[in-house]
Amino acid sequence: MKILIVGPGCPRCAATERNVLDACYALKLPAEVEHVYDPKEFARLGVRFTPAVVVDGKVLVAGRVPSVEELKKLLAQWGEQSG
Amino acid sequence: MRVTVSGVLLGGVLALREYIAAHVLTCLVPAFLLAGGIVTLVNREGILDHLGVRASKVRSFSLATIASFFLAACSCTVIPVSSGLYYGGAGIGAAFIVLWVAPASNLLALIYTGSILGGTMVLARVVTAVLMAFCVGWVMTLAFRQEESRAMSAVLASNGPTSRILAPVDLGLLGLVAVSLLAPNYLVRSGPYSSKVLVWAIATAAVAGYAGFTKTREEIRRWLEETWWFVRMIFPLLLLGVFLVGMVGTLLPQAWIQQYLGGSGLTATFLATLLGAVSYFATMTEAPFVHTLMKLGMGKGPALALLLTGPGLSLPNWLAIGRVFGVKKAIVYVLTIVFLGTLAGWVFGNFL
Repeated sequence: MKILIVGPGCPRCAATERNVLDACYALKLPAEVEHVYDPKEFARLGVRFTPAVVVDGKVLVAGRVPSVEELKKLLAQWGEQSG
Repeated sequence: MRVTVSGVLLGGVLALREYIAAHVLTCLVPAFLLAGGIVTLVNREGILDHLGVRASKVRSFSLATIASFFLAACSCTVIPVSSGLYYGGAGIGAAFIVLWVAPASNLLALIYTGSILGGTMVLARVVTAVLMAFCVGWVMTLAFRQEESRAMSAVLASNGPTSRILAPVDLGLLGLVAVSLLAPNYLVRSGPYSSKVLVWAIATAAVAGYAGFTKTREEIRRWLEETWWFVRMIFPLLLLGVFLVGMVGTLLPQAWIQQYLGGSGLTATFLATLLGAVSYFATMTEAPFVHTLMKLGMGKGPALALLLTGPGLSLPNWLAIGRVFGVKKAIVYVLTIVFLGTLAGWVFGNFL
């Protein structure tokens, strides 16, 4: 699983990254987490509102800071779907 | 009068005290709730979908302008939104309109300006921001025509049918929050502060009741979380700004301000525009700053220019625009705004 945190480096993006890492840790998820800072990349990823969380190319959350609980649910769901 | 360090600090503290007493409860709390509500309840993706790629200029410019009132309240979010529009296939005019209107004339800043500087200033701010938006849109479109016609490689496919922007139930909720923001500041113009608080309390109780009946606990929690984000991001900057403004007020000789920013001459307006275009004002901090300078003798033309370009442009913002859109577009944009800002302030100060 490849998780991208998309945001230009604002405080909300940092909080999102922290929550994603916490969620991955809690789920013991072997995910590759990366932070995309370049706004030119945002559109290519299909992200229009930041901070956003993109998992395996799909935008799961955009324009707000997801809580750790919500991320755990979303990521677990995604993991089941993709096998 | 001798200027002492303690006197300057005292000026800052006094400004802070007056500000906290007069604005936090009846103005800032509902404003932040409104901003948080917009983020959680309004489907901003939906707004952007309506901007369309091949829409007519008049249509897409108008939509971009109106949407920007509700899009972003913080300059940190507007550059990604605007560049996303641009690289996502929207016209360069619409992208730069969002870049300009969202910080220069968003709902939060407008309401706050109204409570501090009065209705005329808000009206002037909205009208000039909108007029400038259309000029900026056309200038950018004309200056970068070749790029417009070049087919955009990465046109975003809209994800399924266009979703609704705002459910009627949520519109009611946002409307009530707006009432709790406007009522204390516009209904109660005179009289003791406690009557403002009373009006605010009644309106806020109505908001809480409505939210309790129509929204789930989860939705309310999300709304309050977003609100808290705005508080954490903007409030410290606001307090710092007010404190600095209070100190500057005691430091700056009145004569200087009257000489350089007094009246509504072209030079004064231009200086105010430059000041605003270079320095960074977090959204809303421009209002107390302009208020202080006006008390010290700044004319209303320069005041409007500063209100517009203060939050709309800043040196860090130029650099970011240059990095994202390219240096040429950044230069054209900044020059256009400085020119239009000066013109708008001058016209407002002299003919209206």
